[in-house]
Amino acid sequence: MPPLPGSGLAKGLAITLRTMTRRSVTDEYPDTEPALPPRSRGTIALFEENCTVCMLCARECPDWCIYIDSHKETLPVERPGARARTHNVLDRFAIDFSLCMYCGICIEVCPFDALFWSPEFEYAEEDIADLTHERDRLREWMWTVPEPPALDPAAEEPKEAAAARTAAEKAAGREGDTA
Amino acid sequence: MSRPARVGALSRLAPDPVKLVLNWGRRYSLWVFNFGLACCAIEFIATSMARHDFIRLGVIPFAPGPRQADLMVVSGTVTDKMAPAVKRLYEQMPEPKYVISFGACANCGGPYWDSYSVTKGVDQIIPVDVYVPGCPPRPEALLQGILKLQEKIARESLGERYADGGADGSGRPDGPDAPGRPDGPDAGALRRGLVRP
Amino acid sequence: MVGLGAGDSADTDMVLNIGPQHPSTHGVLRLRLRMQGERITAAEPVVGYMHRGAEKLFEARDYRQIVVLANRHDWLSAFSNELGVVHAVETMLGMEVPVRAVWLRTLLAELNRVLNHLMFLGSYPLELGGMTPVFYAFREREELQAVMEEVSGGRMHYMFNRVGGLKEDLPAGWTRRAAAAVAAVRSRMGVFDDLVLGNEIFRARTRGVGVLPRETAQAYGVSGPVARASGLDFDLRRDEPYLAYGELADVLRVAVRQEGDCLARFECLLEQTHNALELAEACLGRLAELPPGPVNQRLPKVLKAPEGHVYTWTENPLGLNGYHLVSRGEKTPWRLKLRSASFNNVQALTELLPGCLVADMVAILGSLFFVVGDIDK
Repeated sequence: MPPLPGSGLAKGLAITLRTMTRRSVTDEYPDTEPALPPRSRGTIALFEENCTVCMLCARECPDWCIYIDSHKETLPVERPGARARTHNVLDRFAIDFSLCMYCGICIEVCPFDALFWSPEFEYAEEDIADLTHERDRLREWMWTVPEPPALDPAAEEPKEAAAARTAAEKAAGREGDTA
Repeated sequence: MSRPARVGALSRLAPDPVKLVLNWGRRYSLWVFNFGLACCAIEFIATSMARHDFIRLGVIPFAPGPRQADLMVVSGTVTDKMAPAVKRLYEQMPEPKYVISFGACANCGGPYWDSYSVTKGVDQIIPVDVYVPGCPPRPEALLQGILKLQEKIARESLGERYADGGADGSGRPDGPDAPGRPDGPDAGALRRGLVRP
Repeated sequence: MVGLGAGDSADTDMVLNIGPQHPSTHGVLRLRLRMQGERITAAEPVVGYMHRGAEKLFEARDYRQIVVLANRHDWLSAFSNELGVVHAVETMLGMEVPVRAVWLRTLLAELNRVLNHLMFLGSYPLELGGMTPVFYAFREREELQAVMEEVSGGRMHYMFNRVGGLKEDLPAGWTRRAAAAVAAVRSRMGVFDDLVLGNEIFRARTRGVGVLPRETAQAYGVSGPVARASGLDFDLRRDEPYLAYGELADVLRVAVRQEGDCLARFECLLEQTHNALELAEACLGRLAELPPGPVNQRLPKVLKAPEGHVYTWTENPLGLNGYHLVSRGEKTPWRLKLRSASFNNVQALTELLPGCLVADMVAILGSLFFVVGDIDK
C-alpha cells in the first residue's frame, strides 16, 4: 500500500517539534567553561622546585620540544677539609607547545614529579614564538593542575601508596615494639 | 614584501568609525574553508557540529570553495607534496583573508618534525594569523583561536595590513614571487626560541 | 586537460582530476578519471599526498615513542593502531599481559571501533546529500569521546597503550559512566537504521552501485567491512582471536553480505557498529567480575626487543592491519612495516569505478570507508 501523501512530511515535522522542546546539546563555550576530566591533556605544568635538571624529559621527548639550560653551583664547604658539593641550578625550562605532541612521556619519566598535566587549553597565539612557554609561564600552569582521580576499586594500589603504607606499618610496628 | 594593496582605496582610506563598522562586519561573518588534512580535521568537524557549533561565533562552514571564503583553517599535516595545493588555494581566496593554523603539525610539523616528507609548518608557505596548539587541539581550543582572531580583526586597520611593506609586527611573510620559500622574518621567528631564551 | 579522442564530442575522452582537496575524498586522496561522456573508463587513485614517512620515523624512536606516534596514521582508530604495535612488541618479548589489561584493551578497542564507524555512518550520507545523520553521529561520538577522554586524557589520540598493558588504571566510577554512555548510544543507534537505511533515496543511490565481486576483493587484498560486504567472510576477531575475543565468541557477530554494492558495505558497517556496542557492554560486564589486579607490567628502563622478526595482525575498524617488526636487539626497531587496511581497499577503485557514471563516483568512493593517513602512512 503506498503511504498517504504528506505522511513523510508530517513525520518529519513531528520530529522537529519534538526536538524543539528538548534541551539543546550545545556547550556555550566562551560563556561556560567545559568540565574537563582531571586526566585531560591540555598543557604541561612545571613544578620547578622539584626539578633537579636531570634532563630525562628532554631526552625522552619524541619531539625534542623541551629546552633546558642549567649551570652548576658550588655550595660553601660545610667543615674544613670536606669536599665542596655542587648542585644544578635551573636557568631555563621551556616547552615549545607548537611542536609538542601531548604524549606525556616527559611526565611519565620525570623521577621527581616536577611535571604535571593540566586540562587548560586556552593558549592560542598570534605569534608562534609565544607558544614556547618559559619556566614562569609553566610554573603558572601549576595552579590549574587538578587532583588526580581516585582509582577504580579493582585497581592495584599505586606503588607510591603501597610504599607509604608499608613504611607506615613498619613504623607502627617498631613503635609497638618499643612500647 | 612588495605585495600590491588588494583592498579598495575606499576601505583603506575610510574614516575610523567606518572602519570600526567594517571590522565588526568582517569579524562576525567569517566564512570558513576547512583545509582538512589529517587528524585535526576531525576535531574541526566536531567543532562545526551541534555540541560546539561555531556558527554561534559567526563562523560559517558552508563556503563552497576557497573563492568564497574569508578564513582558512589548515588542520593537519602539510606534506611537501600537498604544499603547492595549499598555497594555490590560499591565493584563490579573496582579500581580506585570514588563516588559522590548527594543531601541532600545521604549526611546525609536530610529531613529524623529523620526517623527510612533511613541511615544517604551514607558515613556511602562507602567512598565518593564529596558531592553535594541541595534537589535536580540542574543539574548545579552536573556538578560543577563533575568538583570538576576531579580536585581531577588530583592532586591525586594513591600510596597515596591505600597505606596501606592511610591517604590522606580526611577521607576515608575503612572497608571491617566491613560491614555497619562507620570506625572512617568519623563519627567524620560528627559530627564535631555539637559539636564545 | 583534454585527452585523446577522435570524431564527435560524444567520443572524446576527458581526463577529470578529483582532488587532492575535495570534500568527498575526506582528506587528500586524488583520483584521475578518464571519462567518456558521463561514464568513467579508467580510474587511477593518486596516493601520497598525506605521506608522512611514519615507518621511517619508527626506526628512530624507541618502543614507547613508537606507540605514541603509531596512533596517528589512521586517526580514526588510534587505539587499535597502538594496540597493533604493542601486540607485536609483546609477541617479540613473549610477554604476558595481565588479565585486567586484556579486557580493558578489548573494551577500549571496541569503543574505538564504534567511534570510527560513527564517523563514516555520518559522513557517508553527507556525501550523498543527506545532512542530518552526521549531526546525530557526532552527538554519539562526543558522548563516547568524553568517556575515552576521562580514562586516557585524549579525545582522539589516546596514547593509553604501553608495552605490557595500559598506562594506568581506570578512574573510580568510570565503568559506570562508560556503561551509561554505551547504553545511551545503543538506545539511539536506531536513528541510522531508520533515517539512513530506511531512506529510499539513500537506497536508490547505493543499491547495485559499485559492485565489488568477491574475487576482486580477494585479489586486491581488500579487508574489513568492505570485504565482508562482498561475501569475504573473514574477521580476525573470530578466526584468529587475539585479546579477549576468544571468550566473546557468543557475543561477536560478523556481519556479512553477498551483494558487494555500496548498500551492502554500509549495512555491514552499521551492523558491526551495533555489534561493537554489544561487545563493549559484554566487556564491561566481564570487567566487573574480574578480581582486582594490575593493568601493566614493570618494564626495564631501556626496553629492547630481542633479535628476530615477527608479524602480527589485528582487525582494525577499517580492516586488517599488519605489523612486521624486525629487530636487531636495539632499543629501536630495525624496521617496522605497516600493512594498513585503507591502502589495499582503495586500490580496488581501479576496478570499481570504470563503467560507472560520474555521479556514482562519490557514492562508491565514500563507501570504501578509508582514511587517507592510513593509505599513505
